[in-house]
Amino acid sequence: MAFNPPFPPLAAALLAERFGLQDCPPEGPFVPREQLVELARTLKEELHYSYFVHCTAIHHPGTDELPEHCVVVYALRKLGQGSHVLRFRVRVPQGETTPSLARVWVGADWEEREQFDLLGVRFQGHPDLRRIMLPEDWQGHPLRKEYAIDTPHFPWR
Amino acid sequence: MAVDESYRTFTHPLYGLLEKVPGLTLAATTADIVLTWGLQHSLWAFPMATSCCGIEFMATMTSRFDMDQFGTFTRPTPRQCDVMVVSGTVTVKMAPRVKKLWDFMPEPKWCVAMGSCAISGDFYRDIYSVVPGIDTFIPVDVYVPGCPPAPDHVHAGMHQLAEKIRLQRAGEWNPEQDRPERPLLCKPSIPAIGDPDRDPSVDEAQVLSALNMGPGCTVDPIAPGRGRREG
Repeated sequence: MAFNPPFPPLAAALLAERFGLQDCPPEGPFVPREQLVELARTLKEELHYSYFVHCTAIHHPGTDELPEHCVVVYALRKLGQGSHVLRFRVRVPQGETTPSLARVWVGADWEEREQFDLLGVRFQGHPDLRRIMLPEDWQGHPLRKEYAIDTPHFPWR
Repeated sequence: MAVDESYRTFTHPLYGLLEKVPGLTLAATTADIVLTWGLQHSLWAFPMATSCCGIEFMATMTSRFDMDQFGTFTRPTPRQCDVMVVSGTVTVKMAPRVKKLWDFMPEPKWCVAMGSCAISGDFYRDIYSVVPGIDTFIPVDVYVPGCPPAPDHVHAGMHQLAEKIRLQRAGEWNPEQDRPERPLLCKPSIPAIGDPDRDPSVDEAQVLSALNMGPGCTVDPIAPGRGRREG
């Protein structure tokens, strides 16, 4: 069994036809933020990707080609016979927001809170965007590259 | 296995009075031996299981290793416990809760730091969210090292604690000069009644909450829809 199976062909055809995404690597195509919610609804209602596996994010501190941004990775699963995972990604520039998928899959609610908590990704339209893992009085987002790992937190450390 | 010096001494206020009555001193010392024997063989533990050492602590309580035979068994509330066994990594978010539960426990009380994470933070020590050892905010009596310690190590730790209690009560435990500096965080988070540092608003809040208890309660503790998100 392949470690990274190819992008599901049925979904690739639909994404190419409706959203103009020609190149779909196994780790997922980059989706424009404006089309994110529409694409999510299409995947859920027409192709039955009913299970939201996870959403994670990576912080890129910025290079000459690309300014500072976060990449949010979504993973969906189709249940039943022929069950498989589909991934797609979104680039969120620093200081901007990305639409929330919590209205499409309820399971995205806490996952997006986690990305907000640890990486500071702002999700627009999220019903309850609060910290989920760190204490409420925490300053900053610790998984960002500029965060010093030995930052003190008085009086505990 | 290292045994830390205790910061607390417990003497019953009656002891001073008893010494004035002739003949009662002998009875008091005899009673004290019996009481100490009872104390060191009925250490009820509060399982402060914050991560994987808690699983090993559960194994210590099962029939195979059987902590009950030494009088140690777990209680679900800190109000009934003598020993807090902190087993696992304590994070910055958990630390105020651990401290609060420690303050709930009635004196005399002891603390066992089980596993290297509770002792020093171990390899999570430098991570942004981990407290580097619980002895920064709780006075620890016995350290049980290991990752995780095996159940018989926990047994040995509890035996050492019992021995320490016996020596303390007999007045033979006095390594005063080796006693480390007491960290500021080891103080109770709310000072006791009569302490000049105690905030008077705490007393008022306690009196108010006491008045609101019972059948004539004015404040509904469980309001409808509490804890639920709207929409």
